[in-house]
Amino acid sequence: MSAIIEVSGVAKTFRQPKRLPGMGGALRSLFSRQFTEVRAVQDVSFTIAPGEAVGYLGPNGAGKSTMIKMMTGILVPSAGTLSVLGREPHAHRMTNAAEIGVVFGQRSQLWWDLPVRDSFDLHRHIYEVPEARFAENLAFLTSMLGMADYLDRPVRQLSLGQRMRAEIAMALLHDPKILFLDEPTIGLDVVAKDAVRKFLARINRERGTTIILTTHDLQDIEEICPRLIMVDDGKLLFDGELPRLRSALGSRRRLRLEFGTDPGPINLTTARLVTDDGAAKHFLLDSEDTSILDVLTELGNGYDLKDVTLEEPAIEEVIRTFYQSKPQLAATTP
Amino acid sequence: MKARAYAAFTVNALQTRLTYRHTIWAGAFGDLVFIFARIAIWVSVYGAAGAASAANGVTLPEMITYSLLAGPLLYWDYSRLLADVGTAIRSGDVAVYLLKPLHYPAYLAASHLGHFLFELAASTVPVAVIILLVFGLQPPASLFHGLAFLAYWPLSFMILFTLATLLGLAAFWLMTVQSLDWFFNAIMTLLSGGMVPLWFFPGWLAAIAGHLPFAWISYYPAAVYLGKLEPGQTLLYFGIGLVWLAVLLASLAWLWSRARDRLIVQGG
Ligand SMILES: Nc1ncnc2c1ncn2[C@@H]1O[C@H](COP(=O)(O)OP(=O)(O)OP(=O)(O)O)[C@@H](O)[C@H]1O
Ligand SMILES: [Mg+2]
Repeated sequence: MSAIIEVSGVAKTFRQPKRLPGMGGALRSLFSRQFTEVRAVQDVSFTIAPGEAVGYLGPNGAGKSTMIKMMTGILVPSAGTLSVLGREPHAHRMTNAAEIGVVFGQRSQLWWDLPVRDSFDLHRHIYEVPEARFAENLAFLTSMLGMADYLDRPVRQLSLGQRMRAEIAMALLHDPKILFLDEPTIGLDVVAKDAVRKFLARINRERGTTIILTTHDLQDIEEICPRLIMVDDGKLLFDGELPRLRSALGSRRRLRLEFGTDPGPINLTTARLVTDDGAAKHFLLDSEDTSILDVLTELGNGYDLKDVTLEEPAIEEVIRTFYQSKPQLAATTP
Repeated sequence: MKARAYAAFTVNALQTRLTYRHTIWAGAFGDLVFIFARIAIWVSVYGAAGAASAANGVTLPEMITYSLLAGPLLYWDYSRLLADVGTAIRSGDVAVYLLKPLHYPAYLAASHLGHFLFELAASTVPVAVIILLVFGLQPPASLFHGLAFLAYWPLSFMILFTLATLLGLAAFWLMTVQSLDWFFNAIMTLLSGGMVPLWFFPGWLAAIAGHLPFAWISYYPAAVYLGKLEPGQTLLYFGIGLVWLAVLLASLAWLWSRARDRLIVQGG
């Protein structure tokens, strides 16, 4: 099997009856057939192979949640074809649901009034997980996510971080082939975020569970997902690995050379001089392949070099320039 | 169908209610006041006509038993069901149920059976015991009628459940079902015979009400218990009730599929 998820030319347009303001407007809109259209997803295509971990990134309203809902079968695409585990998700809702796990950061799937353990037990019945397998998974997830302390507490008493860990654990109890997470780290503190990231990366690595997650937090992607899909305004902007995004954007590394005395102008072929403050000079490395050694070799020994620093462009920086310029990149699958 | 999963929902609803069991006292007390008021009405009606009189061949002790059966036992409080469905729809949580390999209406039926059983044990039975001690209650008219009642009871539960769920799903299209709920409850209390048995209705109204599904909620089961239907009629009306249930279940399946389509096409 090559692809576990195939999305081709998928679009989703929401049609909402136009609401006119005021009481009279409310009455008129009862009879009017006017609609406002929101194009939440437009012509998106990608494929995902089993075992991949993919980060789905984009600003607010970019259509990330909409895409997740379509892949999990609770929203029907307006155009294009979508196949998850070889099936059209919404047409085979029950079978699809049994083989995937879903976590919505904004919406709890646990039973509010029940202890976490009871929610898990209900889940076992709904997904018909064999008893032995369930016990094994529960023990593993409880220790991995450090849930032992609050397994018997009602969900409504849990902190956000505790609840999110329970949500993720529940989504994995039936050994889903794919785990979809819509903003799993939203509202978590640094420690909880770190725990969730490490856990997801491990599940992906050790169990081979395919992971697709949406996020606004780039660190999620750096730590969990080798592959990044970037969307904006419903359209696909980039699909590939994070380092490739850097080079595709031409986001160059910056090299700072500091000398004991001002050596005067320096011209190099491996690095381009951008600012010259006399004793401190800043260069840009235009090529990804250039190493510091190349630059220093070219520079030679004739200088009183005191310090060398190389700065990788911050990923946030890269993404920000990306959104602002919105370049038309050829979206290619790795 | 995953029978085990749905059974687990029933058990869970029961357990959840047990953890909030202190809230039952208000409910049980309300039930008690309500049924005492009804019985007081029948006592004064019969009292005016003379103690030993039997209106339409029905005696006062029979009316007291009827009030208990047709009231809290059969015409259970479905407002929790309406609230559950309404909240799930308005908050969008209904999508969560679509994410699971579950049939939402079946889930509702299973969990509200749990609520019903809890209220039966914690409120209806204690109220019945008090009525028994204060006024006395009639046993079933015969073994046949007693057994027939046991068959009519789940039928009644399912018909009321289906009607209430249909009403709840209307929240998909209407912003609020509150006014609708008020109207529906008034109609249903009348036509089900939950307040006044059909045998006190004017002939034409009794004829209409006797063939609408509402009558299977309260009137028929209670009338069967008291032996007001011949064995032949008991079986015949049970059959008609089953047909009504099938019609209602089909309507529910249809309405739910419309609601689900709306949800997954329009996004709520
Ligand atoms: N049910 C709906 N009806 C109408 N419009 C909708 C509906 N759901 C989403 N939209 C619109 O579609 C667009 C994409 O929404 P979506 O929730 O997919 O964004 P997102 O990328 O998840 O954003 P965020 O990062 O804020 O969660 C938005 O403009 C949103 O208003
Ligand atoms: Mg979203």
